[in-house]
This record gives sequence, C-alpha cells and structure tokens, in this order.
Amino acid sequence: MTGTFFWQGRRVPFGEGQTLAAALLAAGLRDLGGPDGRPARIFCGIGACQACAVTVEGLGVVEACLTPAVDGMRLGPAMTGDDHV
Amino acid sequence: MHSRSSPHVVVVGAGIVGAAAAFFLEAAGARVTLVEAEAPAAGATGASDGAVSVASKRPGPMMALALEARAFYRELAARGVLEGLFHPRSTFLLARGDEEASLLERHGADLAAAGERVVARSAVDLRRLLPGLGASVTAGIEVPDDGHAIGYEITARFLARSRPALRRATPVRALKLRGDRVAGVVTAQGEIAADRVIVAAGIGSAVLIGLGDVLVPRKGQMAVTDRAQPSGPAIGGHLMAATYLAAKRGISLDKPHIGLVIDPLVTGQFLIGGSREENRSDRRTDAATIAAILREALDFYPPLAGRRVIRTFAGIRTACRDGLPIVGPHPAVDGLVVATGFEGDGICLGPLMGACAARLALGEAPATDVSVLSPRRFAVREVAQ
Amino acid sequence: MSDAPVLVVGAGPAGLGAALALAQAGVPVVLTEQRDAIGGAIHRQPASPQVPKVLRPARHARSFAMLAAGLAAAGGRIDLRTSTVFLGLDGADNALIDDRRRQRVEALSPAGIILATGAVEKVHPFPGWELPGVMTAGGAQVLLKETGRAPDGPVLVAGSGPLLLAVAAQLAAAGNPPVAVLERGRPWRRPTALAAMLASPANVAEGVGYAARLLRHGVPYVTGAAVTAVRTQGDDLDVMVRHGAAERTYRVRHLLVHDGLRAGASTGITETRDGPVPVLLAGDGREILGADAAVADGRRAAAEMLALLGRGAASAGDEQTLGAARRFQAALARLCEAPPPSPPPETLVCRCEGLRVADLDHLRPDASMRELRLVGRFGMGPCQGRFCGASVAALRPDADPSLKASAVPRWPVRPVSLASLAGFGDPAARTNPRIHQDTEDR
Ligand SMILES: Cc1cc2nc3c(=O)[nH]c(=O)nc-3n(C[C@H](O)[C@H](O)[C@H](O)COP(=O)(O)OP(=O)(O)OC[C@H]3O[C@@H](n4cnc5c(N)ncnc54)[C@H](O)[C@@H]3O)c2cc1C
Ligand SMILES: Cc1cc2nc3c(=O)[nH]c(=O)nc-3n(C[C@H](O)[C@H](O)[C@H](O)COP(=O)(O)OP(=O)(O)OC[C@H]3O[C@@H](n4cnc5c(N)ncnc54)[C@H](O)[C@@H]3O)c2cc1C
Ligand code: FES
Repeated sequence: MTGTFFWQGRRVPFGEGQTLAAALLAAGLRDLGGPDGRPARIFCGIGACQACAVTVEGLGVVEACLTPAVDGMRLGPAMTGDDHV
Repeated sequence: MHSRSSPHVVVVGAGIVGAAAAFFLEAAGARVTLVEAEAPAAGATGASDGAVSVASKRPGPMMALALEARAFYRELAARGVLEGLFHPRSTFLLARGDEEASLLERHGADLAAAGERVVARSAVDLRRLLPGLGASVTAGIEVPDDGHAIGYEITARFLARSRPALRRATPVRALKLRGDRVAGVVTAQGEIAADRVIVAAGIGSAVLIGLGDVLVPRKGQMAVTDRAQPSGPAIGGHLMAATYLAAKRGISLDKPHIGLVIDPLVTGQFLIGGSREENRSDRRTDAATIAAILREALDFYPPLAGRRVIRTFAGIRTACRDGLPIVGPHPAVDGLVVATGFEGDGICLGPLMGACAARLALGEAPATDVSVLSPRRFAVREVAQ
Repeated sequence: MSDAPVLVVGAGPAGLGAALALAQAGVPVVLTEQRDAIGGAIHRQPASPQVPKVLRPARHARSFAMLAAGLAAAGGRIDLRTSTVFLGLDGADNALIDDRRRQRVEALSPAGIILATGAVEKVHPFPGWELPGVMTAGGAQVLLKETGRAPDGPVLVAGSGPLLLAVAAQLAAAGNPPVAVLERGRPWRRPTALAAMLASPANVAEGVGYAARLLRHGVPYVTGAAVTAVRTQGDDLDVMVRHGAAERTYRVRHLLVHDGLRAGASTGITETRDGPVPVLLAGDGREILGADAAVADGRRAAAEMLALLGRGAASAGDEQTLGAARRFQAALARLCEAPPPSPPPETLVCRCEGLRVADLDHLRPDASMRELRLVGRFGMGPCQGRFCGASVAALRPDADPSLKASAVPRWPVRPVSLASLAGFGDPAARTNPRIHQDTEDR
C-alpha cells in the first residue's frame, strides 16, 4: 500500500510496504521525542532499542521500525497518548 | 564512633526491615554486620509495590501500627534520612456496586475511628478527581494522608547512610548458640560471632527461628507499564479495589486471589497488582494471572489500554498464620530478636519495625509498643543450630 | 511421541535454516517473525519490487533464494506467523506470542523452542549518542535495504568492525557516499589477524569489494579514530573526533555508529535442555558467526532439538562450517580490537531511564549488578538493558555479575500492549491459535 499517514497532524507519504520508521526518516522527521525532551529517534532498526516507540491511534505504543505504515494512520510521540496524535 | 564495649549485632537479611534495623543499630552506637543471602532488597522488598498506606489496613493493631509507621516515614523524610523518597498521595478505595460500597462505608468508619482522615466520594467526585475512571466504579473513599515509597530505594538509603559491614551472597544456615544465648550465625562461608542477632530474613526466617510452620509464603504477581508521561504520577492517587480489602480482611485464599491496586509511580509509569497465591514461593509470573490482573485494571481505569507492559515480576510475601507480623525477642533464645511476617505491609511498616527491632536487640524498650507482635505467642519448636 | 510443533523464533537465516531442517524431518514448525516479512538482518527485503536493490554479494542473494524456496516447498509443515513478536516463556511454560496484526497475545505449547532472534549491535556511549540523527550503522543499513534510499545529506560512519565498511559501500552504491569511515582499531597493525582471515576467501572478497567501492568514491577509511562527542548544530550534527593526538570536527546530517555485534542480548533467554520445554539458541543470537554460518547453526540447533525430543539423531555435518566461521570471527575481532574512549560523566548510559555515567558513579562502589539495576535503574526501561547493560558492565567491571537482576526467567522480553495482554486467555475473545490459516503474509 502507498499512502499518507499523519505525524502530529503533519502528512507523511510512504511507499509500498514501508515501515513507519522508513517513511518518517525519508520525510526528514528524525526527532520522535515528546514535549519532555527525552530523546526518541530511530536507532537500531530491529525492535531492540525501543527508542523509536510512537503512539499510533488505535494501536497504542508501537515500534516505528517494526510497524508497517497504513494509509490514514495517525501517530505522535510515545508518551503523549491518543489525544495528541 | 563505636566504643570497644559496643555490642556486635548481626542482622540476617538485607530487606527493608534488616536495612532499617542496621541503620538504627549503628545510630545507637552498635557495630553491625548485615548478612544477606543474595543482595540487598533481593527478597520481597525488591519485588513489591510500595503503598505506605493506612487505608488498606485491617482495623485493630495493624491500622494503629500503620498510622505510626507512616508518621515515622514523614519524620525520617523531614530529618533527611529518607529525604525525597517518601511521596505523599491519596489512596482511593473504589467500589463496584452496592455490596462493595457498604464494605467501604464500614471500612471508612473504622479508619475514622482510628483517627484517620477519610473523605467519602461519589461517582461524580471520583470522575472529576480521576479522569478516565471506569464506568463500573460506583463509589469510593479517599484517604488523603497516605504515601508511597519504593522498597529498594529505602533499603539502599539506609545502607548508604549507615554503612554496616555488608556481606552479600552469604546465606545464614543456622544460628550459633551458647547455652540459651545466641553467639553468632553459621554461614556457608564460616561463622560470624555476635553478641546479638536480629533475624529479618523474610520467608527465609522460618527455618532459622524454630517457631514451626507459622510462616507461609504468599506469592504476588505484578506488572509494570511504560511511562504515561515523562515524570510525576499520571493519576491523582493510588487506586485500590474494595475487593483488595476483602483479601486483607482474610477472606478464603484457596485459589489465587486478585486484589487490584493501580499505583501511579513518580516516574510516570504504573505499577499494577496483584495476586495472592497461598503457599507459592516460586518467583515466576504467568500470563493467565497477569492477564486477569490487567483485565481488572482496565475495568477500573480504561486509559491503561494505551500503555505497554514492560515487565512482570513476582514477590513472596511472608504471611503469619494469625495475620500479624512477628517482632520481638525470641521466646527461648537470649539475644535473638525476630522481625518478619510483614505480608503485604512491610514497606509501610519496615522502617518503624526495623527501628523497634534495633532497640529490642540493644535491650531497650522500643518507642512503639509492639508487644502484640511478640513471638512469645507461639510455642517454640527447634531453633536451627 | 507427541506431534506438538517446535517453535522457531526469528525468520532470519538461522531461523529459516532451523525451520527447514525440522520440517524436512517431518516435525511441524511454528515460525514467528516480528517483522511483516522474512529475511532477518542480512536479508532484509525491499519494501516493494520497485525498490532498487542494495549492493551485496551474490552468494547472499543465492542463499536467501534457497531459504525462501525451501519455505515455499515446506508448505503446511511450517506455519509462518509474521508480525508476531515472541514474548518469552511464562511460569506455566507457555510460549507467549504477540500477534501484532490481530492485537492478541497467545500461548503456544511447543515441544521445544529454537530462538534465532539475531544479534544486537554494540554501541559504546559517548556524549550525544542519543541525539536524533545518530543511528546504528546496521539500523541504517536495514532501512536502506527496505527503501533503497540512503539517508539524505552528509553521513559519517564510525565505530569498529567490518560492518562499517559494508554499510559505507552500500551507501555509496545507493548514491550517498559517506564523508568518511572512522575505524577505532588499527587493522593494518594486526598482520596475523589479517593473515588468519585469508582462510575465508568469500568474506575477504566481500571486504575487498566494499573497500574498492569506497576507494572509487573517494571515501576516506581512517583507522585509529574515535568519536568523542556529538552536538546538534541546527539540523546538523557536529561530531568531535580524536585521531591520535589530533582532534577534528565533522559537520554531518547523520552519524552511523557501530562497535560490533553482541550475541544473547536479543531476548536474554538462555538455553535449557532439561526443562519441560527445551530451549536452544541458534545463529548470531547464540554466537556471532556471521550470515553464512547462521544457516548452518540453525540446522545444527534443529538436529540437536530433534535428538532432545527423541525424533532423530543429532548430525555433526555443520560443525566444520561453524568451526571455520568461529576462527574467522575471532580473527576479525582481533583485527579491530581497540578500547573505546572512556565516557565523561555527562554521557547518557541508559536512554530509556535518562541515566548518565555520573548516576552510576553515585552508586555504592561495591554494588552488585543486581543493585546497579534495581537501585540505579540501569536497564529497567522498555529496552530492558539491551544497549546499556553492556555499558554498565564495562563501566563497573568489578560488579558481581553472579548477583544478577533475577534468578527467574522474565517475560515479556519485549514491551507488549497492555490491552493485548489483558485479552490473554479471556474466554470472551478466544480463537484457536494453532489452526490459523489465513495468514496475510507477503
Ligand atoms: C507483590 C507484592 C506487593 C507488595 N506491596 C506492598 C505495599 O504496597 N506496601 C507494603 O507496605 N508492603 C507491600 N508488600 C510487602 C513488602 O514487600 C514486604 O512485607 C517487605 O518487603 C518485607 O521486608 P523484609 O525485610 O521483612 O523481607 P524481605 O524483603 O523478603 O528481605 C529478607 C531478606 O533476607 C534474605 N534472606 C533470606 N534468608 C536468608 C538467610 N538464610 N541468610 C541470609 N539472608 C537471608 C533475603 O535474600 C532477603 O533479602 C508487597 C509484597 C509483595 C510480594
Ligand atoms: C542491524 C544488523 C545489520 C547487519 N548487517 C550485516 C551485513 O550487512 N553483513 C553481514 O554479514 N552481517 C550483518 N549482520 C550480522 C547478520 O545479521 C548475521 O550474521 C545474520 O543475519 C544472522 O542471522 P540470524 O538468523 O542469526 O539473525 P537475524 O538475521 O538478525 O534474524 C533474527 C530475526 O529474528 C527476528 N526477531 C528478533 N526478535 C524477535 C522476537 N522477539 N520475536 C519475533 N521475531 C524476532 C528479527 O526480526 C529477525 O528477522 C547484521 C546484524 C544486525 C543486527
Ligand atoms: S529503532 Fe530500535 S526499536 Fe525501533
């Protein structure tokens, strides 16, 4: 599937079969941290470091590097909860 | 510092009680060796919640002791010893349905009679104070003067502020007696002579003190979530199901029982518990029990659905058959003091009970009357020696 | 003899090798993979057929083609569950899996488990390693394989080990040659190690190919150079580097770091042969032997599992391959051996919990590993110490490791949705996990 998802309301296009991580990086969105300043970013790419955790509406907190992008998905920093995505 | 005549006290067990005892012994001028089978807080202290709660106590001696123990936390925090480690916060006891509401009403009256501040809360109040609260909660009471403390943090602080000789990985196998008097402890790595001994070894105390099978392990499983927010408790208090009180009030525990508590930690995480599994002393957790706990938790507080569980753990509560801790001089052995059997209350009671045990070991009367907890209430069997 | 399946976790070369060998022996297999496609770290597949292929040796493509064909031929004997994360073994000996598609945690009762969950990259901490723009080299590489796109802007590759070379060459081939590759070690000064590697011509040829590619693109390969700190500079990073007595700063968009691979950190679970459910490790998760040996190690684990379950005899056919790989990896390790600069107090050690070197210094000097973890909170966050665990061990070499965090096996080995876990065993939401045919796998 190709399409668009939303990072804190901002449109992020993605290519077929891409993970959230790949699409976020391609869009230049490197800093996935919340308002707290705790660093969050794609780091290990294999689900191990948990630094890429994001909140996806309907899914909860997931690793961006493991989660396939789906058209219309709404996401934001891990700690802010569903209402801030 | 220590005079040559200051007694050497061996404390067996570096949980919250043993660490507190070591601290207060040193403060009183004793020389202390703290002998620990594994590492500090390796037992229940490092695998528990940390409600410093009067709200959850049975009326009677436990409620009275908890009131003193909680005041002692405030005092130690103010004195600097436990500065920054005691976190005041309300306990909310929550009912689902009329039967539970009337249990809470009774319990609220008991608390008030003991001198505790209690505020009755309607469902509407509760939803305002605790946004997100589940629809099944119908009523509750708020106990505003409770608090929270993390067992291993308290233990580490006592050890940092007193620096007793600490022997890790040194299980005590038996006590060394000379006539009717304790003369030290026997460990896998040899004997350690002592003038006095305090056994504060949690469930490990049972085999050492020869009081028969008065102590039972009661396993508790818990789950820890990721952070709901960067720091600070994510909800305005500690949530406790009315059915938790039922567990505390000694309802039949033949099958695993779940008494739900949801604890918002200062890290922004939640600690969710717990089961009471009679006679289980393994420390493994199982998905069926954890899932049952989490379903209860979601019923009380649905926003938890957005969290992730990052860890599960089990701790072993040391329960005494008659429901009271055991604190006091051993009935048959001079110089031996016992402090164990704190079941699900040892974080709350630990500092105070450690202080009492220290005084008793030095032959002094403790500031709190703990005679009701004396091991003299049991017949002596065989002391391990 | 029961016909319970063997659970194989991880569909990289080791897991695929194990699953195929088991299936060949007539044993049913459940193969779980956290990603939505098979391949593992080395064979991470392009997200779509349109994605340009990343530079890699032909033998890797062949090896993967064989594994994929084997999987297709195994048909129903291998029940492949993608987007399914293994969570560990619980106290009731359930193998717990988290089906991310259906948002359900389920239990399998396998006859045995082979964990082929791969390696985790080592990263020695330095001030700023936690900043956006700093990634592991392997992490950048798997994303490159997935998208065919190199990260934009100037890239610096730094750390230690042969993967630096591979990633740099792949970046160059994808159109963005890194500004430099900084190798902390001094491989040219280890002639015996270099010589020992000649025993593995395929690997040497691969390395030479990458080096040639870098040469062609004019990418400097600097040895004896180490990153000491990173700072953000607008959208860029200023990377401070020490090279002998000299210091210099690189201004880049991305810093890719990597200090080798670590076995065992992926799940933290150790092998058990005598429990009710035997657990074996295979591939880089057991021992770093490289991609070629991973398939053989998967077969070896499968043979041992068959023997343990009384369903076949262990074969030693792969021992030679594994021995050669072991010698090669040992030589590689010697080749690039170089201690990292010791991190200053402000260096973040545990990202999840926000803990620094200074926080470690505040803990009792005699603290055991257990206390460092429990009291210090190092490794208590969502990553469960996969990265900081080793840093703490290096910074506190005297801490008693026998007093580890816990004597009991822990689960979940990965964070799991609370809602999914709450649904476990709920009669209201029960499906039969064993007979789940309609996989939506690609
Ligand atoms: C799941 C759970 C939740 C809980 N929640 C709360 C709560 O919210 N509030 C509260 O107040 N309490 C709570 N508790 C209870 C509390 O944790 C305990 O009562 C308290 O930690 C007991 O402390 P202790 O020092 O007596 O025992 P422990 O912490 O068990 O310490 C005993 C120590 O002795 C050592 N030891 C044992 N045998 C030997 C030996 N032979 N030689 C040398 N050393 C030995 C052990 O290794 C251990 O370190 C909870 C308990 C559990 C399990
Ligand atoms: C990021 C990275 C990049 C690498 N790049 C190269 C390279 O370019 N060249 C080279 O020679 N070697 C490379 N290596 C080493 C290489 O991975 C191995 O030699 C080879 O791939 C090992 O195969 P494996 O099957 O043991 O592990 P992997 O290939 O890592 O496979 C492990 C599989 O398990 C899955 N998994 C992990 N945990 C779970 C879980 N809890 N539940 C379900 N599934 C899980 C993973 O998604 C993965 O698919 C790299 C390693 C890493 C970590
Ligand atoms: S980048 Fe490490 S878990 Fe996703």
